Amino acid sequence: MRCSLRILTLCLTLALTVPACSGSDDDKTTLRVLAGPDLAVLEPLLGELRDETGVQLDMDYKADADTGDALVSGQGGGGHDAAWLSSDRYFRLRHKDSARRPLRTPTMLSPVVVGLRPAVARELRATSPGGRLSWADLADAAATGTVRFGMADPRQTGSGLAALVGVATAAAGTGGALREDDVSCDRLRGFRSGQQLTADSTRDLLDDFVDHPGTANALITYESDLLALNSGGRLKEKLEIVRPEDGMVLADFPLLLLDPDRRTAYDKVVEWLQRDSVQEKIMRTTQRRPVSPSVTRDGQLRAPVGNALYFPDRLAVVERLLDDYGDPRRRVPDQVIFLLDFSGSMRGERMADLREAFADLSGADSSATGKFARFYQGERLTVVRFGGRVLEERTITVQGQKDLDTLAGVVARGGYGDSTAVWTALDHGYRTATTVVAEDPERAVSIVLMTDGENNAGIAYEEFVRRYEARPAQTRTAVHTYPVHFGEADAGALRRAAAKTGGRMVDAQGSSLSEAFKEIRGCR
Amino acid sequence: MPANRAVSEEPRLAVTRPERSRLRRTLALTLPVPVIGLVLLLTSGHLLMPFDRVVTIEAKMASKRDFFEDPEVRRLLLKHGYRVHITRMGSREIANQDVEGYDVVFPSGQPAADLITRNRAAAGHPALTYRPFVSPIVLGTYRAYAETLDDADIATPQQSQGVGGAPLYYTLDMGAFLNLTSSGKRWNDEDIGIENHGVQNGNKILAQTSNICESNSGGTYLGLVAFVRKGNDAPDTEKEAEKLAAEIKPLLVEQGLPASEMAETYLSPNGKGIAPIAVFYEHQYLAHQIRYEAAKGRPDTDRVLLYPDTRFVTEPQLVALTKDGERLGELVSSDPELQARAVDLGFRPRDATADSMSDQLAKYLNDRHIQAPVTSADDTKAVLPSLPLLERMIKIVGDCPELPGASK
Repeated sequence: MRCSLRILTLCLTLALTVPACSGSDDDKTTLRVLAGPDLAVLEPLLGELRDETGVQLDMDYKADADTGDALVSGQGGGGHDAAWLSSDRYFRLRHKDSARRPLRTPTMLSPVVVGLRPAVARELRATSPGGRLSWADLADAAATGTVRFGMADPRQTGSGLAALVGVATAAAGTGGALREDDVSCDRLRGFRSGQQLTADSTRDLLDDFVDHPGTANALITYESDLLALNSGGRLKEKLEIVRPEDGMVLADFPLLLLDPDRRTAYDKVVEWLQRDSVQEKIMRTTQRRPVSPSVTRDGQLRAPVGNALYFPDRLAVVERLLDDYGDPRRRVPDQVIFLLDFSGSMRGERMADLREAFADLSGADSSATGKFARFYQGERLTVVRFGGRVLEERTITVQGQKDLDTLAGVVARGGYGDSTAVWTALDHGYRTATTVVAEDPERAVSIVLMTDGENNAGIAYEEFVRRYEARPAQTRTAVHTYPVHFGEADAGALRRAAAKTGGRMVDAQGSSLSEAFKEIRGCR
Repeated sequence: MPANRAVSEEPRLAVTRPERSRLRRTLALTLPVPVIGLVLLLTSGHLLMPFDRVVTIEAKMASKRDFFEDPEVRRLLLKHGYRVHITRMGSREIANQDVEGYDVVFPSGQPAADLITRNRAAAGHPALTYRPFVSPIVLGTYRAYAETLDDADIATPQQSQGVGGAPLYYTLDMGAFLNLTSSGKRWNDEDIGIENHGVQNGNKILAQTSNICESNSGGTYLGLVAFVRKGNDAPDTEKEAEKLAAEIKPLLVEQGLPASEMAETYLSPNGKGIAPIAVFYEHQYLAHQIRYEAAKGRPDTDRVLLYPDTRFVTEPQLVALTKDGERLGELVSSDPELQARAVDLGFRPRDATADSMSDQLAKYLNDRHIQAPVTSADDTKAVLPSLPLLERMIKIVGDCPELPGASK
């Protein structure tokens, strides 16, 4: 009697425990996974995953899985049980306010780095101390047209977004995470002028790069993509992998559980992915770094990953970056109209300061911020010299050193006026701007007004305002004025003009014109 | 009740453990073949007592899953009839989320546990808590970084006792360190000069923490920073707390979006680049050294710890929500084998105070030629503000979302 009771108990126990604790056949299940295209390389392993865990991953690849709305609606309504992305940073920022964050498990690691064709790599290293390269060096070389790079669209892809944040963080140069202040002006115009290739997915980007070898000489993407390209035999010359010394952004390819009810299957998948044997296979298949510390890294993956840049924790910062970045396929360079005070009081040291500022923006400033702020390929620059009236207006489009020399020549010319017609000059600036905006509505135009004295000639401020308000709305909303306060200029009046036109005044007192110009570069 | 629980909640069956040979014989006569195979596996494998019920405990925990995920701990628990199924999340997340369907929750520190017990009591379900071990909050770093801080007179190597070699432990002048962070200094700055130690890093000098809104270590570090910045005092009033929180916020948010698990990141092969100074618990570092020594025959001398001169010892609390949970809590706090295993995993036993590391743990480390940290009696012990004030400060610094249940 006792015996049969035992057996009955045993049978009950088994009936209850078996389905829960093994991956046997009656336990086959499918997880519907929203997947980034960067995960497709894992396809060959998914069969093994199914055989060993009983969980089939039904991968739904979406080009914009990392940044798009599919994931947002996916949580709860999009029909996905899980998401497998290259990075969930954008998702986390968008869900900062939500109470419940999905379980996340990193599965592999890869930093965003730069691949250079050997010729351009040699050229860049030759001009950098110690041969070390930074994002600033790349921005500088992009602005001069030396580096022509390909990068996936950051509005669509994790790799593009990581690259964009990395470059912007380096451009801000604070050593901290980007804040609103750091992105209020777009410092990446020069860098982006070097972008010759873009795509909606990393894979398309690599294909384009290979198919059109003359278009670009650099690629900004995951280390794993570059390693795969180098070992894939599709390139004549292998790309040299450069890890910019000011830091990188790391992707950790997290698997997120969107539907908490699918926890059991998720646990099985995660347990499998974290096995050392599987981690090793993932490394071999993807050329990404294993998350497991106990797996020995293959050759190139042993290279130090570099310092991770701090990633901004504000959605507004990232959205601003993406907005400024715009559509990489339709990029129209900016035009800046410099209104420069050439009254007599500018003679001597002040004029030397002004010329130095232009030289710095033309490439003489070797600081990191200087390299980001410099004039770039395709940018249109208008210099208006004024005294008691407008003395000269000259516009150049930067194509090479010759154009920058021309610009330097205009600024170097003497011919001073004896009074200061600040508002006449600004009115002239807006007339020029109105023409540009009418001809080319896509071109961003801004006005920099530099003066060292009070208005004592030409029209009064009130008259300027009257004319300004009579200009087309298109001009008024798009063209802002950034006055630079210098010498004996009337700070109050300049600040008023800035406020009126939607710009911001910077003070060159106590710093230099060079620093002041740099501060408002990219402000539009 | 969770769906995947192994055994229903029936009373313990009074079945004594049968003799194995007889069991096998009986089974062979009465059961179909596949079941026999399974039973043999169960009886001979790691499932020791198939006839006692094995209770699966549903648990939510953060860093203290290190203990429950240890294979030896799992074996010991199974011997007592428990299997623990862990859902991992940050301590404060644990406190702020529904605990329905769980037997225990094990936040890594007192504040989160207090939140839970307070909410439970308010809902008419007072909960028992257990404190099986403690562990101080520390800053993990790398030798080059520690030596750079030593050059700046901000960190001082501890005199190791017994075991020689380069120091693994430094005492950190928290006040001076926070001044460095607030001045916006970067590792590459000439007057800091990390280049002298063969490292390049243009990032700001700061300690990275796990998400302040979610984790106990993040919240505790916040409390520590607040205490130091207030001249070794904790705020007493809401007004004081709010003012102080706004003041220390820049020190704590400069790192941007936090990494998900600080110790894991720090201990990963790329940790030096990703989290060169990371806030976590002493036990996580010691467990790493013990593992490392076991594998390589020597400790990891590149990873070192900074002990804030203002100390704080965290007390993880296992909160029992069911009878099974209470039995588990009782077991891990009183069973000698489990307590001994906790020491092997780098935890300080419950009786160790903030001032002294227990002899047991020090001896365990020294036996393995791993230096043991020493704590000076001169160090100040930090006091966290009261729970509502700490909560208020966390919300201000972390811009944490208002969570359902948080303000119950």
